[in-house]
Amino acid sequence: MFVPHSSLDLNVIFDELEISSLEELFKHIPDDLLIKNGLDVEDSLSEIEATKYFEDISNKNKNNLVCFAGGGHYDVYLPPTVKSLTMRPEFMTSYTPYQAEISQGILQVLFEFQSLVCDLTEMELANASLYDGATSVAEAISVAINKTKRDSVIISDGFNPNTKEVVNTLIDKAKFDLNYVPLSGYLFPEDYEFTDKDAAFVVSFPHYEGSAQDLSKLVKKAQSKGVITICYVDPSMLGVLKTPGSMGFDIVVAEGQSIGTPLSFGGPTVGWFATKKDLARLVPGRIIGETIDNNHKKTYVMTLRAREQDIRREKASSNICTNQTLNAIGSAIHLSWMGPEGIYQVGYQAIQKAMYMKSQLKEAGFNVINDESSLREFLVETNLPAKKIISEMGNKGFLAGIEYSENLLLVALTEKRTKDEIDNYINLFSEVNHG
Amino acid sequence: MVSGGNASSLPLVGGASEPTIRELSRPGRRASKYPKLDVPEVDFNHPAMKNEKAPLPEVSEHDLVMHYSRLAHRNFAVDLGFYPLGSCTMKYNPRFADYVASLGAYSNTHPATPSEFTQGSLEILKILETYLTEITGMDVASFQPPAGASGELTGLLIIKKYLQNQNLTNKTEIIVPDSAHGTNPASARMAGFNVVEVATDERGMVNIEDLNSKVNENTAGLMLTNPNTGGLFEEEILTISNIIHDAGGLLYYDGANLNAIVGVCRPGDMGFDIVHSNLHKTFATPHGGGGPGSGPVAVKSYLKEYLPGPIVEKNESNFYWYTPENSIGRMHGYHGNFLVALRALVYMKLLGKEGLDTLGSYAVLNARYLSSKVSKYLPLAYKEPCMHEFVATVKDLKKSHKIKAYDVGKALLDKGFHSPTIYFPLIVEEALMFEPTETQTVETLDDLAESIKHIIEELCAPGVNLTDYPKNLPVGRPNELIPAKHLTVHWGDFELLELTE
Repeated sequence: MFVPHSSLDLNVIFDELEISSLEELFKHIPDDLLIKNGLDVEDSLSEIEATKYFEDISNKNKNNLVCFAGGGHYDVYLPPTVKSLTMRPEFMTSYTPYQAEISQGILQVLFEFQSLVCDLTEMELANASLYDGATSVAEAISVAINKTKRDSVIISDGFNPNTKEVVNTLIDKAKFDLNYVPLSGYLFPEDYEFTDKDAAFVVSFPHYEGSAQDLSKLVKKAQSKGVITICYVDPSMLGVLKTPGSMGFDIVVAEGQSIGTPLSFGGPTVGWFATKKDLARLVPGRIIGETIDNNHKKTYVMTLRAREQDIRREKASSNICTNQTLNAIGSAIHLSWMGPEGIYQVGYQAIQKAMYMKSQLKEAGFNVINDESSLREFLVETNLPAKKIISEMGNKGFLAGIEYSENLLLVALTEKRTKDEIDNYINLFSEVNHG
Repeated sequence: MVSGGNASSLPLVGGASEPTIRELSRPGRRASKYPKLDVPEVDFNHPAMKNEKAPLPEVSEHDLVMHYSRLAHRNFAVDLGFYPLGSCTMKYNPRFADYVASLGAYSNTHPATPSEFTQGSLEILKILETYLTEITGMDVASFQPPAGASGELTGLLIIKKYLQNQNLTNKTEIIVPDSAHGTNPASARMAGFNVVEVATDERGMVNIEDLNSKVNENTAGLMLTNPNTGGLFEEEILTISNIIHDAGGLLYYDGANLNAIVGVCRPGDMGFDIVHSNLHKTFATPHGGGGPGSGPVAVKSYLKEYLPGPIVEKNESNFYWYTPENSIGRMHGYHGNFLVALRALVYMKLLGKEGLDTLGSYAVLNARYLSSKVSKYLPLAYKEPCMHEFVATVKDLKKSHKIKAYDVGKALLDKGFHSPTIYFPLIVEEALMFEPTETQTVETLDDLAESIKHIIEELCAPGVNLTDYPKNLPVGRPNELIPAKHLTVHWGDFELLELTE
């Protein structure tokens, strides 16, 4: 399959190599190591058979759950225009654009991606993507540690637990202190005092719990102690939220799924990374620059390559090589499709719908924990264990949210949710909670 | 050329520069439309919100589609032509796998959906695990790592934690061949190990004498790819694994070159304890212009409890997520690059036993054929028979005509081919590394060899200006100094530079 050779072709190749069988290719491999009777796997499927095989397995997923879950991944509308452009084979089946002359397409889209991310976050330099939001947080912390040569990291506790776990894996706890600061009233304590031992202040905007605050003062306080400030932002809310740049942050990272990528069971998505130019030489991953060719024509090229692992080897600050280019392309095209008005609607409608849902929940007698400070995502108390609510509502066609704690459910809205879906959710939610 | 058209000629729409999407923007235009708000609108103020709109481009949908389509026209791809790109395995990516990955029940699932509603997706990962472990000779796999480099780091963190749990904290050194990929030493450093380089002998393989001199009680492990980055099978691999195991170290297999041995032999049988696979290389998932990839890590059963989790397990009736007891922790926010893993399984099912049993053989066959053809015009770096890739050198032409590997690569672009990998492995002077993969025809391989012959003739002719190559593409050689010096990384940066200079 996918090997083009006919028996005539094989004759030509065998003649050139003066062999008569494939086995002869491996005479130099110790005989003990050669596989004798082939692999223990099933026979091949034709596409017709494989269609059924993979559709049958997909049917074991509960399809079309109306999604009220967030936590970093959001059911934002993704237009077919964006999907089909992103999946153009010239983008999808190309390699990393090391050969600039035949890669101007990818290079220019990535340059546009970097520029759009900078414009949206008010930063100066973005890279061409990292794996996902969680690993981007860890990479940003590494940059702060490298920059400050300090070993204490101040992290808001208001992160998706998975993100915290990734940070705990990737930052060497034998060398660095990871100090998680609990939220107070679902906000980062404004009176927190940083010290000159702290390398980084890492905070999510909005917090995982859905609450948000103007972080400008905390950023100023941290920077006055020489701390690198890192903002993990929900990019699909940047049509309405203050920009991290305007609040003074040094580094912005994001889980970029909601811009240009389907939910995808969490992968592949894309990590965004943007910063100020004075940190340029510490940035992980690829960066595209604008230049001219030998005829003074506009040209894009991978730049600041001296930071990367293939050149610096064990001295590189990050080992990233393969990234999430295609998802970054999706982000660029989706942002251009939305435009200023579209991304505003995505954020504004999500918040309005969340406000409606919160008011309806309260009317139905439920306790919305962070009503005032939350935007599109909030915590609601459940009478029965949240896990059970999710399970029962799942059976009736709703992904009710994410289990936050035993009796708290984290619920997210996007512009896609309709009033009917919200009303039906609340009816069902009341029913199962009182069931 | 008989193998097909010239893929990298000027785009259909001509050679003019394409404006940026920002330059195409005009106030008031838009592509998007959203429904009217269907809940009662409430006035509200929130301290985290801003008043002004985001400064995004304003374009019509037709302009948007034309712009990104025109950019696509300025890009080489597997679907357009041949990438003889050593170490990258740029084989054909079956369309059918994209179809399966686009099925809504796979692609529209939120990652926090409980496993009771995602049994199909968990089953996919479990089946893929059985294929991967059978192919590599391992026992258990985790799909957390989203790329090869992440897989390497995973493997090293497993080694570290395993040794720590045995109270072997003195073991701080990872041995890496001088021919290894840059990610190997970078990952080892990230995991907190010291990197010890082992030399390559004149045959192109690990120098056993040097290895013996580098291995001691501090050795934590060895990172190796087999075949190695010179495309040669490490014939002494069993000796090597004995040396490392006798010192109490572990063997890590870098799956970059796995394509050479699928169905031929298995890392697990060679003594490797940990293997990562690059699904975007060996198992034909599209490279996407540099990603996404997927770098699952498979281990021998004694290391199972160290894997990054959660991993998929099965009881009598259900698949469920299981976090290994001594897990190094998550490497990804959720389940790794699931849709890439799904595509890889589709590819394996289409290949089946007959395809997988012969996969490595055909990859090696094509490389052996191409090396035979190319060696008529360029000397090879090593005399040993190659596996799925081989290294040629331009060092003689550099001496006689100042022609570098870089120049040959650039001239090849004009002929409709991607350049081979250049200057890698680092230990070969003026290296050109070729990996044809099993999906190229004899005509294409012949055409590449002939093109190399023509290029050498052309570049050796008197009066040739090497920097003129490539000549027939949308742009010529880029000035790499400007962006590195002036950080022209955001639109406007370059114009600003022109204004100030």
